[in-house]
Amino acid sequence: MRIDIQHIDEGESSVVIRYKELTPQIKRVIEVLNNDTGKLWGKADSGNVSIKAEDILYLESVDDKLFAYTMSDVVRLEGTLNSFISEMMDESFFRCSKSMIINVNKVLALKSLASNRIDATMEGGEHIMISRRYASEFRRLLRGDR
Amino acid sequence: MKNSNSVNSNKRKVSIWELYLTKEIAIEFKACLYFFSILFFYCVYRIIYGSWSADIIHLIEMIFTCYIIGYIQVYLLKNFDEAENLGFIEVAGMLICTFLYCLISYLGGWYGRNMVATLIFAAYILLIYFCVFYIYKSKRQIDDKILNEELKLFQTEHIRNNKDKK
Repeated sequence: MRIDIQHIDEGESSVVIRYKELTPQIKRVIEVLNNDTGKLWGKADSGNVSIKAEDILYLESVDDKLFAYTMSDVVRLEGTLNSFISEMMDESFFRCSKSMIINVNKVLALKSLASNRIDATMEGGEHIMISRRYASEFRRLLRGDR
Repeated sequence: MKNSNSVNSNKRKVSIWELYLTKEIAIEFKACLYFFSILFFYCVYRIIYGSWSADIIHLIEMIFTCYIIGYIQVYLLKNFDEAENLGFIEVAGMLICTFLYCLISYLGGWYGRNMVATLIFAAYILLIYFCVFYIYKSKRQIDDKILNEELKLFQTEHIRNNKDKK
């Protein structure tokens, strides 16, 4: 794809997109220009897809690869759990163990376990363990003490 | 650049040292709990047999026994009194620890090496274990309710904040 960038001294700034086929890459550019933030791009079995951050149930890091799980898709995202948390700047994404982040808004129920661990039941029915190390911080988050 | 949330989060994350300390405090708490239970039984036994004094050596043996069995419970027997459900492993853990308490009490002569008193002591220890198990279970059930109420509140506030932002 050819990219032409022109500097103009007068008039309104504009972006013209010319395409033969509306590829995911072009869709992404359009979404960025439309200021449609909160969407994340990644690879699923069906190819490149975009998902809304709020639709993510949880994220898991497996062999240094980051996967986001929604109700219908498993999408591989770029980056790491740390970079995701830093970029999202959203309290509802909580690091619940070394390899997982949960979307607190997608938690259906919580169950207190022995040794100060917490079992979170997600909307999809999955059970995710909030480890002892992160449980105290999670309680503070829920209480708004963070 | 890291945002302030993640920096604060890292500062507040529980360290391995703090985790170790939490476990040690839990063992300490267990030791005190079981020591006082055993002490109560010991005092009742002494009073029944007409003695109004306690042997200091017995008390020292009791507290050390409670500590050691506390470590065994937590590190070897899956902390059975705080388990989710009472299964075979948990009941086996209770029986093993009860046996250890009885053996030490018999060898230490806490109850004058009286077999009947030792057997009643075994039943008493088992009862204490079951009570502690149900107390921890009830505590967690109350904690569940609090956690779920706080979760719903968090979700409601978060959704409202997001709507306000939009």
